[in-house]
Amino acid sequence: MDLLQLGSYTFSSRLILGTGKFSNSTVMLDAVRASGAQLVTVALRRFNREQSEDDLFGPLLTLEGITLMPNTSGASTAAEAVRAAHIARELSGSPFIKVEIHPNPQHLMPDPIETFEASRILAKEGFLVMPYIAADPVLAKRLEEVGCASVMPLGSAIGSGQGLATSEMLNIIIRESGIPVIVDAGLRSPSEAAHAMEMGCAAVLVNSAVAAAGNPPAMAEAFAEAVVAGRKAIRAGLMEKSGSAVATSPLTFLGTL
Amino acid sequence: MITIELNGQQQTLPADSTVSDLLSIVGSDGKSLAVVVNEQIIRPEKRSAHKLQEGDRVELLMFAGGG
Repeated sequence: MDLLQLGSYTFSSRLILGTGKFSNSTVMLDAVRASGAQLVTVALRRFNREQSEDDLFGPLLTLEGITLMPNTSGASTAAEAVRAAHIARELSGSPFIKVEIHPNPQHLMPDPIETFEASRILAKEGFLVMPYIAADPVLAKRLEEVGCASVMPLGSAIGSGQGLATSEMLNIIIRESGIPVIVDAGLRSPSEAAHAMEMGCAAVLVNSAVAAAGNPPAMAEAFAEAVVAGRKAIRAGLMEKSGSAVATSPLTFLGTL
Repeated sequence: MITIELNGQQQTLPADSTVSDLLSIVGSDGKSLAVVVNEQIIRPEKRSAHKLQEGDRVELLMFAGGG
């Protein structure tokens, strides 16, 4: 069976779903179910008694077969991310942590230095570290060397829907990487998810494309099917490209009549 | 009475209040919350015994939607 392996964990689904920006938790839960995702991201937030309905822990517990991957969003330094990871593990009981350190809210680009440092510390502590990074092949290799479970380079800016703008660098990362490469951020359409899988990504992480869709559960299902299609395609072996036409039918028969 | 900092806001509590008392005051059973007092995580089994002190910085954190 073709399973996604992250540390000692295996998953039959290669679609990871984020839980942000949904209109309410019922829609979010429907989308998670429709996506078939087994790994789901959540964020840490201060408890607010006036907004206790935002607490996702109870609703997510109603889903079977889900592993939580908390993120460290809100951290702007490695120390803050490490602290957030410890708190998140306490709550989730999950060894997964998405290291996400983006100090500038204008572009949300990940800080490579703080991300590397936090990832190094957390991998040493036994976390399954999934760092969100720019599509930087050198950084990706360094994160592999310090024991990350995967690398998660961005396709384009978070929530931008600009798709696989970094595909040239993603190709290098995929070619060089000895750990799963998961495209995280920027996807808008299922065809982009299929393309990422055809490029050789081990999985894709999607949030805004589903949460901001007209019908989030239907879009979640569409992404799930696209990820499966892309994965099947690369395993089947894509044909070689040619610079010129290569006939699929005989060209000589009619001329001999 | 003592005053603590709860999620960045001042909060007054009866003296000798525990973390469990604080959770009752804010209306949570605490099952879905992480409690951090002065940057130290207070596990659920320790909450009823952990007394809060004047000036403690308390964070109550939960999981919310995020990508």
